[in-house]
Amino acid sequence: MISDYHIDSLDRSEVLRYLGYRGQAMTPELDARVDGVIAHCLEVGRPRGSVRTFEVAGWATMADGLPELRLAGTSLTLQGHSMEEHMAGAVAVGVLAVTAGMGVERELRRLAVADPVAQAIFDAAGTTLVERAADAAEAQLVALARERGLYTNFRFSPGYGDLPLSCQPVLLSTLDAQRRLGITLTDTLLMTPTKSVTAVVGMFRDRQPSTHRTCRGCPCFDFCTLRPTGVTCHG
Amino acid sequence: MADTSASSDKTYAQRLVESLPEGRLTPRQLRVKDDHLARALAGEDFLLLDGAMGTQLQARGLAAGELPELLNLTKPEEVTAIHRAYVEAGSEVVTANTFGANALKLNNSWTVRRVVEEGVRCARASGARYVAADLGPTGALLEPMGTLPFEKAYRLFADQVQAADAAGADLFVIETMADLAETKAALLAVTENSDLPAFVTMTFDEDGRTFLGTTPEVAAVTLSALGASAVGINCSLGPADVAPLVERMLPWADCPVMAQANAGLPRVVDGTTVYDIKPAEYCEAVAGMLDAGVTIIGGCCGTTPEYIAAEKKLLAGRVPAPRKLRDCFTVTSAQELCALEPGQVGVIGERINPTGKKRMKEALRSGNHDYIMGLAISQTKDGAQILDVNAGLPEIDEGAEICRLVSELQGVTTLPLQIDAADPAVIEAAVRSYPGKALINSTNGKADVMAAVLPIAKHYGCAIVGLALDEEGIPKTAQGRLDIARKIVGRAEELGIPRQDIAIDCLTMACSTDQTAPRAILDGIRLVKRELPGVRTVLGVSNISFGLPFRPLVNATFLSAALSAGLDLAIVNPGTQRMMDVVHSWRVLSGEDESAQYYVAHFADRSDKVAPAGASPAAGGVGGSVTSVVGTSDGTSAPATREDQVRELVLAGRKGPVPEAVAGLLDSHDTMYVINQVLIPALDEVGARFEKGTFFLPQLMASAEAAKAGFEVIRQRNAGTGEAGPAKGKVIVCTVHGDIHDIGKNIVRMLLENYGYDVVDLGRDVPPETVAEACERDHVELVGLSALMTATVPAMRETIELLRKRCPWAKVVVGGAVLTPEYAKMVGADFYAKDATETARIAGEILG
Repeated sequence: MISDYHIDSLDRSEVLRYLGYRGQAMTPELDARVDGVIAHCLEVGRPRGSVRTFEVAGWATMADGLPELRLAGTSLTLQGHSMEEHMAGAVAVGVLAVTAGMGVERELRRLAVADPVAQAIFDAAGTTLVERAADAAEAQLVALARERGLYTNFRFSPGYGDLPLSCQPVLLSTLDAQRRLGITLTDTLLMTPTKSVTAVVGMFRDRQPSTHRTCRGCPCFDFCTLRPTGVTCHG
Repeated sequence: MADTSASSDKTYAQRLVESLPEGRLTPRQLRVKDDHLARALAGEDFLLLDGAMGTQLQARGLAAGELPELLNLTKPEEVTAIHRAYVEAGSEVVTANTFGANALKLNNSWTVRRVVEEGVRCARASGARYVAADLGPTGALLEPMGTLPFEKAYRLFADQVQAADAAGADLFVIETMADLAETKAALLAVTENSDLPAFVTMTFDEDGRTFLGTTPEVAAVTLSALGASAVGINCSLGPADVAPLVERMLPWADCPVMAQANAGLPRVVDGTTVYDIKPAEYCEAVAGMLDAGVTIIGGCCGTTPEYIAAEKKLLAGRVPAPRKLRDCFTVTSAQELCALEPGQVGVIGERINPTGKKRMKEALRSGNHDYIMGLAISQTKDGAQILDVNAGLPEIDEGAEICRLVSELQGVTTLPLQIDAADPAVIEAAVRSYPGKALINSTNGKADVMAAVLPIAKHYGCAIVGLALDEEGIPKTAQGRLDIARKIVGRAEELGIPRQDIAIDCLTMACSTDQTAPRAILDGIRLVKRELPGVRTVLGVSNISFGLPFRPLVNATFLSAALSAGLDLAIVNPGTQRMMDVVHSWRVLSGEDESAQYYVAHFADRSDKVAPAGASPAAGGVGGSVTSVVGTSDGTSAPATREDQVRELVLAGRKGPVPEAVAGLLDSHDTMYVINQVLIPALDEVGARFEKGTFFLPQLMASAEAAKAGFEVIRQRNAGTGEAGPAKGKVIVCTVHGDIHDIGKNIVRMLLENYGYDVVDLGRDVPPETVAEACERDHVELVGLSALMTATVPAMRETIELLRKRCPWAKVVVGGAVLTPEYAKMVGADFYAKDATETARIAGEILG
């Protein structure tokens, strides 16, 4: 399922946080420049994503002793102790890939030469944008889980904990992400556009300690399709 | 970065050319299976391809994420069954299941040869009239946006092509491409390793561009010039959305145009993927494409034999619709088409050329291309439509350098490029990986030059400049120029280069040495335009005024005359207002600027009145005008002295007023005073504030940017007086191999430059050998390595090990998000820098 996410604003304080902002006094020029760059990022960005869910097929132990979660209908497997913990008791797994788009990447390359100050701010804005897109994709998975009466935990990305980056090629092809989203991998398994995120979300029969307790402060709030229908994911 | 490092006495271009298939430049004789296919390639017959393979395999239980091509070996009968169903529905061409059968995707599971062979065999077993070998994207992104070198992509495709040709395929289908560079690599792999036809389709988004920004027009122009037997669109969208895009290709492709749309958009219903457009609706849209002139059809994701059967019915009794091709002069970049109708004039920006330009020479020698990128940005802004690129300096490897420039320029401009070089190997190296249809500057009427350069233009689908000179030199007369033009055009047309892709340069000679020259040149242009209709003309204008005072006036007058004589392309400095004024006003007179819309919009407020003396900001007193807009970084009262003003501007990160303030200071002080007593202390203060946390990153950078504007003023003054610059020593910076993040590295570079270091920025994803070579070449004493990802820290260690071996004198400082002092020690670095100011401090320690 491919979705375009309509994101028309970014949390300025989050952009500044990525830049190491801790309340320093800014000149009006810098202030305006940050706003201008954020607006520009939203203009060239094309946040898009793809999600799918797979049933848990079972756990196995690999030759090196690490646990491996197998899923039905895909050759994607999730290896390591981080997944053992994150997916303990999961009955299904949601997989997501999102990107801010190649326009953002092109602009990052141009600014590297044309305006390094703007590049740094643009980079932070791009990160904020793609994280917003990931929130939107996660909201889709939360809704898909809820349709089946399942509860989700939170998104977990390859490269964190001991979930290896080596699952990236299969994860991306599972979502047909090159063709549908334009996400490619370097031989060191980094994604281009660099402002792209992949992640997996556990789906459980029982409420999880990490299941959002309240809608307030939920990162998925703006993208939630449940709340308007009078339902909540923690419900 | 392309591997442009020197490893032998041969130049980069020589080594590249020697590695390419011999005979690639000899004209291709296509091997066409039968008369029907020949007629289809001529646009006289329709050709019906097949529908989806991937979604059909998924419907038969292929798991997500599995390599579909491996089924050629594990379940060949299933693959053949899918092909056979298409043949039974009416497909004349079936596309073998080899889309992703490249070494990168197969990742050592099976050999390319085996998977492709079995794929072609499965397709052949279906009884299809023609079997097409399928080439899809490699899965990696090519340089400069990605890290896969062009020649590596070419090699991946060439392996597939050789295997498919040997296995008995009848043609190639290159499809679902989003990157024009990758598409070009695939197409060259076919044209250089097989004599079979190649159909090429790219995939477009709703906004009418591929993910990498290519438009249908750009794809059609570039790929048909490059020798595609058909071009078109596949995948991405439903047929109703594909139709307008494929119709945009029709006027620009001198080969059949094809369309293989999806059956609408995929939706997941009860766990299975379904497509929302049914065969009847699908064919309705296809009928519109046929009416417009499309002659090769089929389907993509979601289509089934049912759709193909419906298309077969649709074709029954139809004949191909007539098409009308545009007769424009065309060149392209990956994102932009420059097309000149007869009578339209184009501007080629001349400034990226070291001849007589000291600063450009410096930039080429040092490898620091900022200045050159700046020239590209300003010429783009000033209205150039094509940029000339010349890297000809005797002491550098021209081929390596021009390839680097061409690659880097794509990051800052979308204008098509003119490759300006004399050595055929250099020309070939530059145009080969250029993602677009380049303009080659140049050939001339000499037999050996035509024999060397014209086949390159033909093979790589380039437009070409032909200089009106030959073994006898430059003819004195207009008739002499025409005779040479006729020779060049004749030879080019024999090779299949269309005449609208040829621009004859009648060669400007200085009026001061021969006052009959201007008339001969202008008459030459007139004669060429009249006697060789369709051929374009081009002229570098400014030589005309050589030796005269106030040259811009003579140049502008000559340009007007040349335009009136029929000049199509003017090579000028688009930053010279007088020249662009001539071009813009001529476009009104010629009717090109319809209803003078552009002219009115841009010239309504222009006046010939000279501004009164003293009105320009530069003429005002520094004290008054700057202070009034300065303010101070802490909001207190205006600074008292000029030193304080500069300091405050740097601290506030306001680069705008800096040049004026620094210029004022330089009127009363020498440069060393301004650097050491004003700018450097201000930067030190910025660094201290950053350390303390009273400044955050963008403030640090804005201050560095403001200081840079000050140093730039000093540099310009020094260039005038010949006084030595403030350079303190060389530092190499780069992001290590495998890592593509460069923000941190760019910040370090900015700061080091401010402190007067000569920074060699090798870019991102830099192999250890390239670092060692650069370090060795100039005996550089400090190398800064950056890595953002844990996965790329080992590459840092490798780079340091190689540096220890080859450059034991060099100190290494490392930094980046994942680095810690412990990591730094582990990889063998001399220093760990937690941020850019720390790196500047370390540089001070090492280099002074």
